[in-house]
Amino acid sequence: MRPLADHAGGGGQAGPAAENVEYRVAHLHDRLAAEELGELGVRAEMRAGAVVVTGTVPSAQCRETVLRTVREELAGLAVHTDVLVAENASPDHAEDLP
Amino acid sequence: MIRVAAVGDIHMGPDSQGLLRPAFDTLPDCADLLLLAGDLTRHGTQEEARVVAQEVRGLPVPVVAVLGNHDHHDEQPEKVTAILQDADVTVLEGEGTIVECDGTRVGIAGTKGFCGGFVGRSAGEFGEPLMKEFVRYTRRSADGLRTALEELGRQGCDVRVALTHFSPVADTLAGEPPEIYPFLGSYLLAEAIDTAGADLSVHGHAHMGTEHGMTAGGVRVRNVAQPVIRRAFNVYQLHTAV
Repeated sequence: MRPLADHAGGGGQAGPAAENVEYRVAHLHDRLAAEELGELGVRAEMRAGAVVVTGTVPSAQCRETVLRTVREELAGLAVHTDVLVAENASPDHAEDLP
Repeated sequence: MIRVAAVGDIHMGPDSQGLLRPAFDTLPDCADLLLLAGDLTRHGTQEEARVVAQEVRGLPVPVVAVLGNHDHHDEQPEKVTAILQDADVTVLEGEGTIVECDGTRVGIAGTKGFCGGFVGRSAGEFGEPLMKEFVRYTRRSADGLRTALEELGRQGCDVRVALTHFSPVADTLAGEPPEIYPFLGSYLLAEAIDTAGADLSVHGHAHMGTEHGMTAGGVRVRNVAQPVIRRAFNVYQLHTAV
């Protein structure tokens, strides 16, 4: 039986948990919320072997920051992104609520 | 007829000053008032609140807001509120306000609201103190909304609108993962709205939800989170009794 430390990646080395894509996606969510963006509205989920990142952010600068963070956190993984910038145009009609 | 403009989740920061103002400047042509459904900032800092205040300062229509969870993150919601008030924004939390529009009295009752989920899939006031407080916080918020709506009714408002950040119904969350619905709203808010009565319920918070919904009592609900409506604001025309 191998010692537990081998499984856990003791001695400060990245172990199996650190390589688990699911946890890397969770850590991406944590970073997006905790860092400069305070971003909770971007979704990242596993789909057919890739991570798909979607959402709408308030500005072009926020979008760049999200994409940079995704590249850093998910380096080496197949990633598809579809992150939009919120639209700031006035509506062209009203909804009538009789 | 009253034209209610509304948007939530504009999440302003230093890089977004001026992005919404051109659209807000068109408000006098298309709306009688503007409702802001919370999450006006990213972290609830005073710096971000000043960006929001500047964006709406001096608008020729009344602006009424509730705060969202992001506006609480820096744990100084009272300062965010004060900065918005300084720009003539009426910020509601468990209270109402009346806006006069061409002789029509429009009552807006507002609260941030909170989580807990929807009937049959909701958190209960049971067990650990933290869990009980979680549900009680939502209940206090819903009670504040109900009493504010009732008071607006007593004051003879022609139209009443419930303004929240969290959602009162699951309808407008469609598109969000069902697993997180309990963190997006609470049926207690809808029960308060149905008990007191309202002509429209407006909320934000659920960026991936959908715009249209309805309470069990038949009150129309609109999710106006900016990523949902994909505009600077939407306008709802409410008809008053003749």
